[in-house]
Amino acid sequence: MGAIRIPSPRGAFRVWQRNLTIFRKYWKSIMFPNFIEPLLYLAALGLGLGTFIQQGGINGQSYIQYIAPGLLASNAMFAASFESTFNTFVKFEINKIYDAIITTPINAEDVVAGEYLWAGTRAALYGTAFLGVLTVLGFAFDEPLITSFWAVLIPPTLLVIGVMFSVMGTLFTSLIQRIDFYAYYFTLVVTPLFLFSGIFFPVEDFPAPVPQIAWFTPLYHAVNVCRALATGPTPAVFLDVAWILVFTLVLALVPVQIMRRRLIG
Amino acid sequence: MIQTQSRTTTLVARDLKKSYNGFEAVKGVDFEVHKGECFGFLGPNGAGKTTTMKMIYGAVIPSGGELEVAGLDVRSCEREIKRRIGVVPQENNLDDDLKVEENLLVYGRYYDLPRKVALQRAEELLDFVELTEKSESQVDQLSGGMKRRLLIARALINDPEIVVLDEPTTGLDPQARHLVWDRLRALTVEGKTLVLTTHYMEEAARLCDRLVIMEDGLIIAEGSPKELVEKYVSPQVLEFRGSPEELERLKPVVEAAADAVERTGDTLLAFTTDAEELMEKVRASGVEVENTVYRQAGLEDVFLRLTGRRLIE
Repeated sequence: MGAIRIPSPRGAFRVWQRNLTIFRKYWKSIMFPNFIEPLLYLAALGLGLGTFIQQGGINGQSYIQYIAPGLLASNAMFAASFESTFNTFVKFEINKIYDAIITTPINAEDVVAGEYLWAGTRAALYGTAFLGVLTVLGFAFDEPLITSFWAVLIPPTLLVIGVMFSVMGTLFTSLIQRIDFYAYYFTLVVTPLFLFSGIFFPVEDFPAPVPQIAWFTPLYHAVNVCRALATGPTPAVFLDVAWILVFTLVLALVPVQIMRRRLIG
Repeated sequence: MIQTQSRTTTLVARDLKKSYNGFEAVKGVDFEVHKGECFGFLGPNGAGKTTTMKMIYGAVIPSGGELEVAGLDVRSCEREIKRRIGVVPQENNLDDDLKVEENLLVYGRYYDLPRKVALQRAEELLDFVELTEKSESQVDQLSGGMKRRLLIARALINDPEIVVLDEPTTGLDPQARHLVWDRLRALTVEGKTLVLTTHYMEEAARLCDRLVIMEDGLIIAEGSPKELVEKYVSPQVLEFRGSPEELERLKPVVEAAADAVERTGDTLLAFTTDAEELMEKVRASGVEVENTVYRQAGLEDVFLRLTGRRLIE
């Protein structure tokens, strides 16, 4: 029913700003887990499992060098996914924050767009901090984990990756009535993406149709871009960036319309 | 501010309707609200009051008819309308992650208020709703009455022309309710237009210049509280309380003498223009009653007359 709603940038910015105001109060106490989790993977798999990966590693890199940039992408996915699922659900259905906001000149569509931007921002913040840690660790191990100056483009890339996963998470949020359903999303969407998107092993080496399936999933391209920027990109990275942008733009307006219909009777 | 007595209309509904999947919540209502008045929607739960309020502030889109708020059509000018009105929703939706004053400041940003202006207004409004001492408190530490006052302050942050209040005192204790009434009256003195819903007759009688009574998605009566009482009920009421047998015996006597008689539970209500004369007749009949109360007729009587003496939730 009704015309397709396009969010207003001003309204989206105000919603983003509200989240930032609250984040600034609590970031010290909430950032820690997001930050520690990729380090745990890095230690367990990079150092632990990596020892058993034969000399020469993967594509000429040691195992820890191979997985580090991919963890940047998955970290962004997790940050944006939590934001657009549990956090958004609580604001939307439990605290009724959106009902309050949409009585002001901010419209429902602006709220959704503001949340996309916020999830992207959070993904970029966490990712940038993790990028710093990876750089320092590389020096500490005398085994550089970030080897290209193109890595300065990783934070804005993580913002885009975060927005992409926020769109997916918000789409799921717009379709469910109970918070328990997120177990499906994380078990059936987020975890498989995490395991099979080329972070821990190259999916290209698998027989068909595994690489073909991977090509149609979002984290695969995010991992490719992060790895390319961390180690020095080839023009192939443009295809991954284009995939991410097209997927995000095509999907972004769908949750906007569904959420609007749920917020406005 | 000077109170203007101009009777300009600021809110107009014509055959306004809303249905949800075949259920008609509002079945075609007409009303006009004048600038600077307090206009009430009185009715039992499920009468369509909240849906009507939500159509005014854009949270529900009408499925039929016309609705103009501040001269603007609700379908095409939602942002502009929302910029010019303030909303106190029925359900508390304060931002729990923000302190009391921050709630107002963040809300001010939604209206693009410059920070300086927002700070000054927040300070004035906290003073207005008597929450200055709580400005640095967390919202969840506030009592129900304080939360409601903060919602009122929040609705005023953009200095709105019209304030829409959906059951502003539901669930509040008497002290808290009186404080809210007092603040709302202060707003009408400032010249703001108030549109409110309530199912408390006393609230409607105290606050509203004019009101409509809604039932089952329709407006069934309209006027000032005084007009409504004059139109629908006799001015004096005698309430007889007693056992069912006593009331049964009393009923024919009262029915013969009063303008109207109604029975609710253990009470028989008699409406009359001359309570003394009625009382004389009851005494003369020799029927004994435990307890008799005399009072003036009020909105509640109108309401019950019109909507029937059934359980009002």
